[in-house]
Amino acid sequence: MEITPKIKFLGLTFDLTVMIGTLVTAILVLLIVLLASRGRNMRPKGAQNFFEMVIEFIQGITNMMLDSKRAVKYLGFAVTIFLFVFIANELGVIVMITSNVTGPIPSLGLTKEALDSAEGAVSWFKSPTSDINVTVAMAFAIFIYSHFMGIKKSAKGYLGHYVQPYAWMLPLHLIDELAKPVTHAARLWANIFAGEVLIIILAEGTKYLTFIPLMAWIGFSLFVGAIQAYIFTVLAMVYISQKIADEH
Amino acid sequence: MDLNVLAGAIMIAFGALAAGIGNGILFSRYLEGIARQPEARGTLFGQGMITLGLVEALPIISIAFGLLVLFDIIG
Repeated sequence: MEITPKIKFLGLTFDLTVMIGTLVTAILVLLIVLLASRGRNMRPKGAQNFFEMVIEFIQGITNMMLDSKRAVKYLGFAVTIFLFVFIANELGVIVMITSNVTGPIPSLGLTKEALDSAEGAVSWFKSPTSDINVTVAMAFAIFIYSHFMGIKKSAKGYLGHYVQPYAWMLPLHLIDELAKPVTHAARLWANIFAGEVLIIILAEGTKYLTFIPLMAWIGFSLFVGAIQAYIFTVLAMVYISQKIADEH
Repeated sequence: MDLNVLAGAIMIAFGALAAGIGNGILFSRYLEGIARQPEARGTLFGQGMITLGLVEALPIISIAFGLLVLFDIIG
């Protein structure tokens, strides 16, 4: 397995590969959306047409989960999550930059022992969502936001929900709430991580033997990346809507 | 033999087993659905793919942790 360059700053460890990946994805999303929204027309064509389709697709998710007034409010958030996760997933499958470092670079965390364990292979660019820290950060941000909105709507209703229908069900509710962000993060990370590791393993194999499985797996990875981006958005909307939905 | 290899192999094997059973049930029901109502194929395909993503998650989490154990990153 290849290692990643890390820098220590203020006692925290920053993974350079993940930071580069996140930055490139964010800039790419911004550029694509900016270019697509130039010269808007009442009769859409080309990029504008495509992005209207994307937004209508996400509108289907928000309308499914929330009432029409709130759906408009959360549409921008859902589109942002979807585009970021989708482009991050697909970017890692298309572009993977790995270099062979021979000498140790201690300032980047590439010590001799670490290089020996990875046989000198250092990853410089990979999908940011294949690092568990990124997906956990995104899932916990959504978790904290949904609980904040739940308390803001009605603190009494929020706390009362934990002892419904019986008081002894409190532990079950707590496990339920904690399992949500954990599975939300692990679902996305595991899919992208397993896909990338298998691509690396197949790419290292004999060229004539593993070429067809590699092509098939890259195609499947692109498909999985799209599905997981969609599911991440759907689950984020489900978790938020559970907390802000009106009682029936 | 390093026991980590065995542990990782077992995790990947059970992940594959679980994914096989889960996807088998999912797609057998999907085929039953389109055999009964061929015109519902479009809607069922979309719903089926979402369910596939949800079902695939748990085995793939096991496989990802299995790979981490296999390559001596954790455990």
